[in-house]
Amino acid sequence: MMRHAETEAAVADEKNGRPVKISVRNLTKRFGDLLVLDDLTFNIHANEFVCVVGPTGCGKTTFLNCLTRIYEPTSGDLLIDNASADPQKHNISFVFQEPSAFPWLTVEENLAYGLKIKRVAKGEIERRVNQILDLMGLQQFRKSYPGELSVSIEQRVIIGRSFAMRPDLLLMDEPYGQMDVKVRFYLEDEVIRLWKELGSTIVFITHNIEEAVYLAERVIILSNKPACIKEELVLDLPRPRNIAGSEFIQYRKYITDKIKWW
Amino acid sequence: MMNLEEKKKSGLELFLYWGLPILAILLVVGGWLWFAISNPRLMPNPLQVYERLIRTFTRPVAKVNLFGHAFASLGRVLMALVFAWVIGIVLGILIGWSRVCKAVIGTIFEIIRPIPPIAWIPIVIMWFGIEEFPKVLLVFIGTFVPLVINTAAGIGLVDKINIDVGKIFGGNRFQILAQIVIPTALPSIFAGIRTSVSSGWTTVLAAEMIAAQHGLGALVTRGWQGSDMALVMVAVITIAIIGAFLAFSLNKLEKWVCPWTK
Repeated sequence: MMRHAETEAAVADEKNGRPVKISVRNLTKRFGDLLVLDDLTFNIHANEFVCVVGPTGCGKTTFLNCLTRIYEPTSGDLLIDNASADPQKHNISFVFQEPSAFPWLTVEENLAYGLKIKRVAKGEIERRVNQILDLMGLQQFRKSYPGELSVSIEQRVIIGRSFAMRPDLLLMDEPYGQMDVKVRFYLEDEVIRLWKELGSTIVFITHNIEEAVYLAERVIILSNKPACIKEELVLDLPRPRNIAGSEFIQYRKYITDKIKWW
Repeated sequence: MMNLEEKKKSGLELFLYWGLPILAILLVVGGWLWFAISNPRLMPNPLQVYERLIRTFTRPVAKVNLFGHAFASLGRVLMALVFAWVIGIVLGILIGWSRVCKAVIGTIFEIIRPIPPIAWIPIVIMWFGIEEFPKVLLVFIGTFVPLVINTAAGIGLVDKINIDVGKIFGGNRFQILAQIVIPTALPSIFAGIRTSVSSGWTTVLAAEMIAAQHGLGALVTRGWQGSDMALVMVAVITIAIIGAFLAFSLNKLEKWVCPWTK
């Protein structure tokens, strides 16, 4: 019943005509003697939505920090459009688990921040900021400071800031980890809407398997530390997905079994 | 019913905002009156002080009326403050941002820091005499210390997550310093500015009390040495009013420069 992803994904994407955008090659990271990431290799296609799940403490954060180049990998590389990833050259965005809006900038200034660093033309910045404000229903908050907003709205601003970049790669590290269920459901739908609207390439890390099955086109399951890829799984459920549907539950159970290490 | 509640509440607010402060001032004036009436040789009464105030204009002290003395003091403070702000903030940023600067400048600074500005008076007078420059220099010494401390501390407050955001968006070291680190430190820098203004205002008076023709400190000394308590009171009240005015203006300025801190 469960199909193997490598070949399946390749076939599916040949069909959709989506080229390989991100290529992770033998990514390995050690801290001294401690091996955290063990030879990870996988591809992500343009406009693909990939979720990464794994047991707590398996090295997900290290994995992300290697992708953003906050850490240099011990060996292996991350290629974006066949060139080694470089924040100065490529357009990488990140949504942290904790709110990371700049408190001294208004909502619209926060949205424009990365675009200004990338020297996007002024008119284009204005257009994109407005588009994000519209898409996310944040127009009424455009002049507010993050300190005046609730945590969930602040997190939406950060998600908007990342999407506004039209990033080559958008990394999200459990962005909804601190939200209650209702807000999370709402934001999950929102992120899908933005992804479809803007055609971004997303790697979404979560420990919430239901969330992964709800969002992902493909799930990468990491093993316990040292992390290696246990399995890749293509989820071709129609959207909007029904979290109570039998197929949904089957996937959820399957992945849950996979990340059990006890 | 609701309206009545609100009215009651606003009545209390009004009392707290206006009633109590006015009461406090009346208490001080009442105490003054009582003290002046029971010890007329030690303390002039308000009427005598008012008459003395008028006389500072009709018969100027050292050929300069009260405004002239006030401006002499203010001028010295402002001149010193401009230098102290520029040099103090730059030094604070260097100490907070660069570990080498912290090791070198920070160490020298830690040695000089505990010396109260007034203790510099004899040294500065012996080296530079009693012209304008030594007075401005004294005020500078007194004002730049709090700025360096607050700026360096504020730089230390920067959130790593915000720096990571800047790095991921591809910001270079200078952009991260200018757009992330310094805005983080701004409220602390402003606290330093506030301390520097009050410290400058005290130091200039101390300097003027020791050696000056003009200035509010000189007026205090003049009144003191001539047993003219009314003149001392005129100078002291002027000092208080200008000090309060400076604090008020700074408050407004801070709201304008750091609108996100509420």
